[in-house]
Amino acid sequence: MQDQLLTLISWMFLALGSFFYLVGALGLFRMPDVFTRMHATSVSDTLGVGFLITGMAIDAGWSLNTARLVIILAFLFFSGPIATHALAQAALHAGVKPALSDDRLKKARRISATRRAAGGGRDKSTTGTGTRKRTTRKSKSTSSGKGRARPSKR
Amino acid sequence: MVLLTMMAVVTIGVVRLRNLFAVVILGGIYSFLMASVMIMLDAVDVAMTEASVGAGISTVLMLGVLHLTKMEEIKPAHTPLLPLFVAVVTAGGLVYGTIDLPPFGDPSGIIHQNVAPYYLQNSITDTSAPNVVTAVLASYRGFDTLGETVVIFTAGIAVLLLLKGRRPLPASGDGKAKSRTRRRRRRK
Amino acid sequence: MDSTIIYTVAAIAILASLGLAVFRALAGPTVFDRALAANAVGNGAIMLLAVVGFLAGRPEFLDIGILYALLNIIATLAVLKFFRYGDLGHAGEEPVD
Repeated sequence: MQDQLLTLISWMFLALGSFFYLVGALGLFRMPDVFTRMHATSVSDTLGVGFLITGMAIDAGWSLNTARLVIILAFLFFSGPIATHALAQAALHAGVKPALSDDRLKKARRISATRRAAGGGRDKSTTGTGTRKRTTRKSKSTSSGKGRARPSKR
Repeated sequence: MVLLTMMAVVTIGVVRLRNLFAVVILGGIYSFLMASVMIMLDAVDVAMTEASVGAGISTVLMLGVLHLTKMEEIKPAHTPLLPLFVAVVTAGGLVYGTIDLPPFGDPSGIIHQNVAPYYLQNSITDTSAPNVVTAVLASYRGFDTLGETVVIFTAGIAVLLLLKGRRPLPASGDGKAKSRTRRRRRRK
Repeated sequence: MDSTIIYTVAAIAILASLGLAVFRALAGPTVFDRALAANAVGNGAIMLLAVVGFLAGRPEFLDIGILYALLNIIATLAVLKFFRYGDLGHAGEEPVD
């Protein structure tokens, strides 16, 4: 009875850990800039790793492996915030600006303005849609190029 | 298999990128993936070496080198066709060579007939070391390992002297000194 | 209950996150994205090591996980220190801008 309960708890922890780990990686994949990506990986560094290691420790019982798992957990818990802090500091120092919501609003307004300008000047023909697409793509690429850090300048 | 695919993708990224700093970071990622593959193949000691040398030491040393050179790679002037041809021919020869190998883990293979049974049977009574690989490296081939350690120690001292000579600050070369000692410890 | 299934699920999740992190390392526009992804790949390697050790019934591999954790933080700190000061041997005080 108790064994089954422990196994159930361990399963729950492992499933939760896998879920949070995957969520953190998805955030790393999808988020718009460096700082939000850091925020996303902190999810997998704390919740994902913590739940996974707790589940494995419950499965391993009181043994040397649990001690090893606890040591790994302690290392990761210390190293994650340190690395993230150093990364954020270095990124800020190198001049990477966080993407604020104002910037996104401005960009959206600019894109819509260019769209209106491109679409209003001519008829609804195929060439009009072609230029519209090209302008939006160009504005996107310039904004992403602006956020890129230039290491050779320093 | 998934890991190998990721490694191939990382390699293509390394070849295509021109920013050397990003290439160094991708090299570290490649080493971690390689170590994971080694663990999947049950070669734990090789995985440990790969992680410590590939991801730890070479990243740090490459950063030290990067400090002395430029950050961006120049586009190559010649076409890559001839090197590609040489690499493809070499890889084809190597793959052709693996056809004659005995299957992986075959107990009747030639390398398992020579001295491996003796090591497996007598290593505990001879050396009283619980790990067979440790017994082979540190006891049966002890002089060989001693020679390796001497060579690496000398190389570490030489690199330290070179780096000290270039920049005479007292604090310079600090991180490299640490990495050198780590590497020496690893080889033991 | 057979606990192989949940470990397989965990291993697949970690592999998928490794793939996503590798994509970010290849695509990420700034160098810091790549450093962040390298850190994530290191953590993923540690967790994959632990989960595969439990999956194969040989959790003694966890010692190497400790080594990976140490190496990962050393590599990340070295990269960031280099990027901030342009030199690994820097003493660490604030540079005068």
